[in-house]
Amino acid sequence: MHRKSITLFQSLRFRLIASVVSIEIIMLSLLVWNNISIIQATHTDRLRDTATSMIQQIARTSGNYMVAVDYATLEDYLRNIIDYQELSYLVILDRDEHAVIALGEFPLQPWPASEAHPAQVTDGVYDVSDVITVAGQPMGRVLMGFSLSLMEEAIRKSRTRGISIAAAEIILTVIVTVLIGLGLTRRLGILSAAAQEVGKGDYSIRIPIEAADEVGKTATAFNQMVTEVSSRTQQLEEAESQSRTLLAENRNLVHTSLHVQEEERKHLARELHDELGQCITAIQADAESIRDLSGVGDRRIETSASAILDVSSRIYEVVHAMMQRLRPGVLDDLGLVEALKEELSTWQDRHPGIETNLEVGGKLDKLDERINITIYRIVQECLTNIARHANATRVSISLSGNIDTLVLSVSDNGLGLDQSVPSDGLGLIGMRERAEGLGGEFMLASEQGTGVTIRVRIPLHGEDK
Amino acid sequence: MRIIPVRLQQRCTGRHKLHAVLVCCLLAIPAAIAAAEKGNCRPADPLVFGILPFISSEQLVFRFTPLVNYLSENLQVSVRIETAPDFVEFARRTHEESRYDILFTAPHFFTRANQKAAYRLIASVDSPEMWAVIVTPKQSDIHTLQDLEGKRLATVPPLGLATLLVRKTLFEAGIDPDVDLDMVITPTHDAALLSSYHGVTDASALMQPPFAAASKKVRDSMRIIARTGSTPHIPISVAPRLDAACAAEITDLLLNMGSTPEGKAVLLHNRFTGYRQGDPAIYEKLNELLNH
Repeated sequence: MHRKSITLFQSLRFRLIASVVSIEIIMLSLLVWNNISIIQATHTDRLRDTATSMIQQIARTSGNYMVAVDYATLEDYLRNIIDYQELSYLVILDRDEHAVIALGEFPLQPWPASEAHPAQVTDGVYDVSDVITVAGQPMGRVLMGFSLSLMEEAIRKSRTRGISIAAAEIILTVIVTVLIGLGLTRRLGILSAAAQEVGKGDYSIRIPIEAADEVGKTATAFNQMVTEVSSRTQQLEEAESQSRTLLAENRNLVHTSLHVQEEERKHLARELHDELGQCITAIQADAESIRDLSGVGDRRIETSASAILDVSSRIYEVVHAMMQRLRPGVLDDLGLVEALKEELSTWQDRHPGIETNLEVGGKLDKLDERINITIYRIVQECLTNIARHANATRVSISLSGNIDTLVLSVSDNGLGLDQSVPSDGLGLIGMRERAEGLGGEFMLASEQGTGVTIRVRIPLHGEDK
Repeated sequence: MRIIPVRLQQRCTGRHKLHAVLVCCLLAIPAAIAAAEKGNCRPADPLVFGILPFISSEQLVFRFTPLVNYLSENLQVSVRIETAPDFVEFARRTHEESRYDILFTAPHFFTRANQKAAYRLIASVDSPEMWAVIVTPKQSDIHTLQDLEGKRLATVPPLGLATLLVRKTLFEAGIDPDVDLDMVITPTHDAALLSSYHGVTDASALMQPPFAAASKKVRDSMRIIARTGSTPHIPISVAPRLDAACAAEITDLLLNMGSTPEGKAVLLHNRFTGYRQGDPAIYEKLNELLNH
């Protein structure tokens, strides 16, 4: 199996780490932002409440002093308040808006407008004011300014602390995620490599079980799978080996039987020729003698002798034809080419409407007897099939041989053969077995309506393989 | 028992009365002419209505705000209330600074203001004479002035009219207030009254008007064991810097306050029946009290 390289964004490790870190950054940013907002709101609300409380108290308690124009006592009282850390200034205005008491770093006139909330402050001082009343009558105003520096310092510290904690958490998360990711993907990498080795056929590989987690269970299942596959593969290989042996034995048996068949045919043909043929020849000779001696004698003798002669001639023809089918004598006497020519000529006589053509080339005179009979029988079977099924008008036979190979090609222009439909006959199987019995190849090419071409290639050396 | 100082009686002779009437007439003539027109008070700053701190500032503002507003609306100038932390400071501001344009103070303080800072009397509260009372809780076993010996008597500051009147009354009863009893100084009449009401002291000395204005619950739980001699009612005077036309317009407003519904409401709020033309001569008898 070809191992493809993994890009950065396809990497499970990268995606895992990037996802966790992204989520951490987003969530912690939201958390820090939320905390800072809360801290800021808490501080500003506290300052606002403190300012409101203080200024209301001062406004209420200052009234009597204002009516009595007792500013000295009021100032003594207020000096205790100005010590408050966040208080920047405190000014008491009389009914004419004249400052009668001014403590701290009070601003220059015009007096700053009261601000509703510390969050609206732009100059760093939260200005508030309230009316001093006595019995519902205005007696002046109190102005107070609260510095935001302490609050801002507290907020800044809180913000720094929050961001530091968030940064530390992100770093720790990255480290832990990287470590876990590396560990996880390393073991997945081992699994991947082992699967590739199994793909290559190495069933001996086993993955070490490092932990009882999901990856460990996957590794255990993988090992069990490899063991099972290995066992099944071994069984299949044994079964295949046995099948191959049986097939070879069957082929050997077929070849032997074919060989025995040919030998028996050859022997039978020879016996017919030597024994039955001589007898028939003798009968014919005797019948001719009887016919000749009868002369002008008895006409009935002459008739009987002629009948014997006709019958014996007919028997001879039948026996001769049987001998030709069993073992064409011309194959042994004149060779393969002449035998093929005679067979084709005889077949042409029986099927005069089919044009035939035989082409031969190369060295074909010293072929082994088994090759000769094999080629002859294949051509004989092809012609039989063409006559029975092809409805062809032309048959071409080509036989060529060189030092190493003998090639036979038989083609027609008939109906063709649908190879997807299993054939009931044994003809094609027999041809294939004969060719492969000599270590050769049998090929059939056909499409419906374009005829059939059978091509046989037989090695001239090593045919005993 | 009504106690009238002898020295004061001696000062109120016919010659003095004649002088006083002439002065009043001289003052009244331009004032009467000017009072026919309005808008005579046009000071650069608001007019300061100074009130003796005889009650708490809260009470003081509550009681006199309607009067001040009435004056302000009719004079078409801003008038504002002021007081002082205590009687001494109020007197000092009056005498040394002439701080108050309109002075609403105790009768004996007006006498000094007139003498030291030339404050001019323009009107008096049109009510019977004032006096001080000595009160104790009803469940107390103090029933006479003699029962006060060795007791704690709450009163206003030493310069307060009530204190002066009570001291004079005690002396006349043969009691030395500096020896025979313990005078406890409180800042206001209310404080003096509440002091014995709450049992902090055994008795309280205060002017009758503040006592009458006290809450019914407090008033009903107290018993008057003595009253002092009478003094003229509260005088209203103006600083010398106020011109005659302005003073006359103020006088006219005060004297005719009872003729308008708004003015009547103000008088009712102050529990005054009205204002009358001021007579400086009647206040001269208070010099004796001050010199006591």
